Amino acid sequence: MRQIRHGRGGWENSSRRKGVIARRIAVVLVALTLAACSSSKPNGQGVAGENGAAGMGEQNLGNKGSLEQFQKGTLGADSGGPLSDIHFAFNDYTIQPQDGEVLRNNARWLTDHASSRVQIEGHCDDRGSEEYNLALGAKRAQAAKEYLTDLGIAGDRISTISYGKELPLCHEETEECWAQNRRDHFVVSGAQ
Amino acid sequence: MRFQPYGATCAQRALVAVLGLGTLLLIGAPAWAQSQSGLLHFDIVGPGSKLAPIAISQLKNLGGDDEGEVSAHFVNVLSRDLELSGYFRLIKPEAYIENPQQSGYQLGQFNFTDWSSINAEFLVKGAVTASDAVVTIDAFLYDVAAQKQLVGKRFSGAPQDVNRMARRFADAILAGITGQRGPFDSKIALVSTRGGRFKEIYITSLDGEDLYRVTNNPTINLSPSFDRGVGHLLYTSFKSGSPDLYLFNLATKREIRISTDRGLLLGGAVSPGGNSVVAAVERGGATNLFMLDLQGNVIRQLTRGGSINVNPSFNADGSLMAFTSDRGGTPQIYVMNPQGGEARRVTYSGSYNTDPAISPKGDRIAYQTRNGGFHIAIIGIDGGQPTVLAAGQHPSWSPDGRYLIFSADRSGTSRLYLMQVDSGKIIAPITKEDGDATDPAWSWWLGE
Repeated sequence: MRQIRHGRGGWENSSRRKGVIARRIAVVLVALTLAACSSSKPNGQGVAGENGAAGMGEQNLGNKGSLEQFQKGTLGADSGGPLSDIHFAFNDYTIQPQDGEVLRNNARWLTDHASSRVQIEGHCDDRGSEEYNLALGAKRAQAAKEYLTDLGIAGDRISTISYGKELPLCHEETEECWAQNRRDHFVVSGAQ
Repeated sequence: MRFQPYGATCAQRALVAVLGLGTLLLIGAPAWAQSQSGLLHFDIVGPGSKLAPIAISQLKNLGGDDEGEVSAHFVNVLSRDLELSGYFRLIKPEAYIENPQQSGYQLGQFNFTDWSSINAEFLVKGAVTASDAVVTIDAFLYDVAAQKQLVGKRFSGAPQDVNRMARRFADAILAGITGQRGPFDSKIALVSTRGGRFKEIYITSLDGEDLYRVTNNPTINLSPSFDRGVGHLLYTSFKSGSPDLYLFNLATKREIRISTDRGLLLGGAVSPGGNSVVAAVERGGATNLFMLDLQGNVIRQLTRGGSINVNPSFNADGSLMAFTSDRGGTPQIYVMNPQGGEARRVTYSGSYNTDPAISPKGDRIAYQTRNGGFHIAIIGIDGGQPTVLAAGQHPSWSPDGRYLIFSADRSGTSRLYLMQVDSGKIIAPITKEDGDATDPAWSWWLGE
C-alpha cells in the first residue's frame, strides 16, 4: 500500500494571467487551423483503427510530446494518445490509489502493443522554484516508470523526461488548475 | 512636492526615443503610483523617505556635443542609477538656476549658492569632448554645503561606452558618499517571455539599457548565471530536446554545450575559478550535484542518494556552496564545501525553502520561502532566525551586497524588483509589464 501525502493548502491567489482568455482563444484558433490543414493524419491519435481486420485501414498510433505541442500552440487543446495522464498532490511524487487503475490500463495497452515505446513526461504546477520543479517532475516520471515495470513492462521501452513547471495545461491560479498541471503524461511512439 | 523619478525631461524622453532605448526596461510611471496589492506588501522608496537631494547638471560641451546628446545620455543613465540606489532624490532640472554651458564645472568656476538655494545637498557637474571615435567625460561630485569636491573622474572611450561611464560614475558617487562602491557597473541576466510564449534568456543592465538577447529558440531556457569574471553565462536549455547546460561566451557570442552520460542536466553554476561547473544531474528520479569540467567529465560527485539536490550557489572564493535538498523530506537550504565533505542544513523554519544565494561577503544566504505565498528571506550562513523581506522569488545579490534583485508577480505579470537589503525597501521594478520576467542573476562588477 502506497502512502498518500496530501498537498498543503493556503496558497494565495495572486489574480494573475490577465491574458489567459486571449491566449486560450489564440490556442484554439491555432488548433482549429492546424486541424483544418491536416486532412491526412500520418500519426493519428487515439486508439481507433487498431487491430484492424485485413483490408481495412491501419494507422500508426502515437502522440506528440508536450514540448512539441507547446511549440505548435496546441498544448492543452488535446493531449491525445492512447495512454491516460495520472496526477499528483502538491510537492509529491507518490502514485495516488485512484491512478492505479489508469496505470494498469496503460500497462495493458503497452502489453498489447509490444513494439511501442513510451516517454513519460513529469510535470508540476507553476508555483515554486524552476529547478526544484524540474527535479520533482523527474521523480514523478520515474514513479510511473517503476509502477509500469512492476507490472511487467520492460524498462528499456520506457524513457522519462521532466518539464518541471514549464508546460502547464491550465494557466489559472486555482487549486483545480494546479491539480490538472501536476501530471505524468505518456507519449507513445513505434506502435503498429 | 512630487518629483519625477527618472529625470525624464522632454529632451531626455526625445533622446530615449531617438536612440530606441528603454524599450523593455525603462519605467514610465513612478514606482509608488502603482496599485498596492493587498496580498503583497511593498514598502517602496518615495516621497517622505529620507533621501539626499542631488542635482545633476548637464555636461559642459568642450567640443563635439553641440546638440547635447552625449550629455543628456550620460545624465539620464546616471540619474536613473542614482535613483535606483535608494539614497538620493533628484532635484528637477527645471529648478536649476545656472546655465552649465556658460559656467564652469571645476571647483571655483561656479557658484555653490546657485545650488544651495535650490536645496541641493550634492551636485554633479562635468564636461564632455566628443568625436565620432572618442568621447571623454570629466565628472565631479560636490558637497554643496561644505563647498568641496568629493569625487572627480575622467572617462574616455567609444561613443557606445557612455552608458558604462555613467554607471561607473554612479558607483564612484556611492563610494564617495557611503564609503562603499555602488553596484551599477554590472549585468543582470533574466528569463523573459517578452515578444512571445517562450522563455528566453536576456542580459541587461540595471538601468534597463543595453538589452541583449542570448537565446532564440522556441523551447525552454532557464536559470541563467554568470561566472565570476563575467566572461560567460551558464544556462539550462531544452533546445536539443532534453535539458542540458550551455556556457555562452559573452565576448565571442559563441557557446558550448555541457552534457554528461551521468544523466540530464537540470541546472548549474560556474565555479569561481571558471574552469568547472557544479551541475544538478538527474538520473532515475534522483538529482545529485556533480562538479564537472567544461567537457562534462565528472571531477567529483558532491551529493549521493535518491533525493533532490539542486540550485548550487557559490560564495565569492568558492570555498562554500549552498544548495536546495529535499533529503530531509521537504526542500531546505544546505551548505557544503564543494571540495567534498558533509552538507550542513541551514533552514529549519518553513516546509519549502529553495533558490539560495550566498551574499558577496559570505555571511548570509538569501532564498525563496513558501510562507502564505512565496517570499524572499535572509538567514545567516550558520543558520538562526530567518528574516522574511518581501513577496517574491529567486533572489540574487548585487556585487556590493546592499541590494537583491528578485521576481514578483503583483498584477498578472512577473517583473524584476530591486530591494535595498538592510532597509527591506523595494526601490523599483526593473522590468516593464512586457512578458513574464523571472530568474534574475546579478553579475559581479565588470571591471575594477
